[in-house]
Amino acid sequence: MELFLEGILNLIGFIVGLIIGGFSYVGYKNTGSPVLFRLTIAFFAIGIGFGIIWSAYITNEIFFEEEKINRGIQALGLGIQTIGYFFIAFSHTIKSFFPKSRYFRSVGILPLFFLSVMNIEHIIRAFSFILLVYGAIETIVSYIEGKQKGTLAVGVGLALLAFGEFIAWYSLIFPETVLYSISIIIKISGLLSLFIPISKLPLKKIKFDDDLDQE
Amino acid sequence: MVTYRTKIEIIGDILVSAQEKTMEQDGASIMHLIRNVNISHTRLSKILSNLVSQGLLEQVNSDRAYKYRISVVGKDFLGEYKKFNKFTSDFGLTI
Repeated sequence: MELFLEGILNLIGFIVGLIIGGFSYVGYKNTGSPVLFRLTIAFFAIGIGFGIIWSAYITNEIFFEEEKINRGIQALGLGIQTIGYFFIAFSHTIKSFFPKSRYFRSVGILPLFFLSVMNIEHIIRAFSFILLVYGAIETIVSYIEGKQKGTLAVGVGLALLAFGEFIAWYSLIFPETVLYSISIIIKISGLLSLFIPISKLPLKKIKFDDDLDQE
Repeated sequence: MVTYRTKIEIIGDILVSAQEKTMEQDGASIMHLIRNVNISHTRLSKILSNLVSQGLLEQVNSDRAYKYRISVVGKDFLGEYKKFNKFTSDFGLTI
């Protein structure tokens, strides 16, 4: 059951990421907006991250008939997704996300040398959670200011992804329970909620000869 | 809190203003754009020459001064700008 849901989650993440990333790229090409460029990187990264994990599951099942995938590949996919979440949060102008002091930087990097791939995966998930919470809060604040339904859908989507990540984290304390399956269902709902605004926009591409960014 | 417009937002405002005047009259004068878009003459002149060279605006000779009309490409761009402005605002961002 978990494997089936995991497959659906990663496939939906892959498709939603690529569609929103592609739409943002068309917007960037047509308007030259740096915000759309950051959204392009964000959603392509999210889509590719989900895609890597999905293809690893599929390859394992077809060729090796194993249910579990390599932890390194899982960490790679999650890491690429986190880059995507970072760019969403970065677009909301994170000014001091990383510590500026050299001491804190070195101390921050040091534990990575003593960690196993399993621990790195949990750290990546924790980063994803923080970035998603930040993105969700900023988007919901924008909704309160603008009262646009699309903004609410994106805010709820990011919040559901964050909540799903939190439940998945919590399921480590209570393994072999339905918590992990619930977390996957919540994440799927989050991805579908992210897709709501784009599904209402007309998908048409127009081309301009020159770059508008030459003032 | 003071919020600054991005360059693309200023271009959007200029095109919207020019489109309104293109429908009503021959086009928008520089004075009209300065008032409507709330931008300095120096900055507006630079952006206008850029938009005319890109083919988004057409410069027409009126009685005493130049006027600016939105072109077909400009209308297409404005449509795209509005669409993606909505898209970015759905993410709580400014285009």
